[in-house]
Amino acid sequence: MEAVVAILDTTLAVIFTWVAYKTGAYLYKYTPYSYPNARIRAMEAKLLSGQKFNELAESRTLQNFVVNLEDTEYKDYLAELKSYSVEEIERALEGAMAGTYRLMYKILPKRSRDFFGILLEEWDVRNIASVVKAKLANEPASDYVVELGKMLPIVKAMAEAKTMEEILVILEGTPYEEPYQKLLLGEIDATSFETELYRIYHSKLLSYALSRKGEEKLILTEFVRLSIDRKNISTILRAKTAGMSADEIQTFLIPGGTVNLEPAIHVDSLDMALAELDSTKYGPVIRSVREEIEKDLSVLERALEDHIIERVAELDRFYPLSIATPLLYILKKEREVRKLRAMAKLIGDGLNPEEIKHVVGEVE
Amino acid sequence: MDPIVYVSLGAALAAGLAGAASSFGVGVAGAAAAGVVAEDEKNFKNALILEGLPMTQSIYGLITLFLILLSAGIIGGGFRFAQPTTENLVKSAILFGAGLTVGLTGFSAIPQGVIAGAGIGAVAKNPKTFTQGIIFAAMAETMAIFGLVGALIMIATGVGL
Repeated sequence: MEAVVAILDTTLAVIFTWVAYKTGAYLYKYTPYSYPNARIRAMEAKLLSGQKFNELAESRTLQNFVVNLEDTEYKDYLAELKSYSVEEIERALEGAMAGTYRLMYKILPKRSRDFFGILLEEWDVRNIASVVKAKLANEPASDYVVELGKMLPIVKAMAEAKTMEEILVILEGTPYEEPYQKLLLGEIDATSFETELYRIYHSKLLSYALSRKGEEKLILTEFVRLSIDRKNISTILRAKTAGMSADEIQTFLIPGGTVNLEPAIHVDSLDMALAELDSTKYGPVIRSVREEIEKDLSVLERALEDHIIERVAELDRFYPLSIATPLLYILKKEREVRKLRAMAKLIGDGLNPEEIKHVVGEVE
Repeated sequence: MDPIVYVSLGAALAAGLAGAASSFGVGVAGAAAAGVVAEDEKNFKNALILEGLPMTQSIYGLITLFLILLSAGIIGGGFRFAQPTTENLVKSAILFGAGLTVGLTGFSAIPQGVIAGAGIGAVAKNPKTFTQGIIFAAMAETMAIFGLVGALIMIATGVGL
């Protein structure tokens, strides 16, 4: 009898240990995403619809444009407008985007929120590159600063710097100091400097993604690699349009993508590069906008961006309690803000509603 | 072990494990509910209904606890298996098994909470998915119902009320 009891006790101990371990792992995996993902889904419902974009396109004046946005999430940011100028509206929209990043950082679990901090650094890269290019062209650099990013005070200081050497002092201690030094010494030009900045940014994103575990690693790695592919494909096609050689193009590419782009680099023309890319997994995306690409390469860039959003949406459906949900929301929000900024500019330029709808694109 | 230990453990595990699982499930769904209500108060009603679904396992646990205690005579009279005879040991072990069955199947409350949490998010995005959200979450309930039915059979046929 004692032996039976001992076997029973051991079996129970094993079962309880297994159940406790599995329950713990399950809770650790899903519980932290319960609050943020549900909240983000509620926020997704508030993203602007095609009908709303149509209404906005019909605004005709910037004042009407702002009034039309008053029943949206942008209301609080637009309430601080000093005047109805394109610059002021753009700044308010950028503020809304920055607010979204801040919210993501606040509500997401500690184990993954740093990714959004790194994503925010893309705006630093854009700002630094724009400021440096503006300085080199003797243009007012502050006009090119977007009110987003982790290094905004540094970027603003750069924009106000009197000399190029002063910028080096400002950038001291940041990861961007070294490429800027090379630029000052004439070892690289402004375009290569920008590529270097993007290389640093993407390598940081990729190392963070690869340091994660399980589905977080899978989702983040796929997203980062797709983003690198988009950047590289865009670079290759623009370089081919400009008639650059394969060796020159190589220097502008960012390592870490998912497809082999070598064949597309070594052909002579844009048409041939597109034909080479057609055999990659991006073939369907390229074919969907093939006729428009030759007139305007930004059409393909938009299509690739939509492809990334679709892929992240697939991951979101497959992993509903994961980092895919906030990632998808950020991508959709960025697209929305970009469209609104474009609309504000076009309304400011006096374009008619039909033209605005056509230029902004994707407006139903 | 004495029969009283088996009976007490059975009752405690039924209510304790199922109750703990329910609290985890409600916790996960409740966090999601708080998230959607933070964005829009109109989501409260739908979120509350979905959040409550993982609570049922704790009710099954409580029912089983009462049945075990009733069957063993702890409620409504003296303890029926006080003597450590083989028959009493077997009957108390059956009650222990019944409690354990409900306790373990009650763990379905945790994934149910996760499903309900995801459903709360989906309903906040598209309110038309409310019924589907309820159905998806209710699927996890099946395992708990199987456990309760199994425990009822064990108690009724093995020991008697």
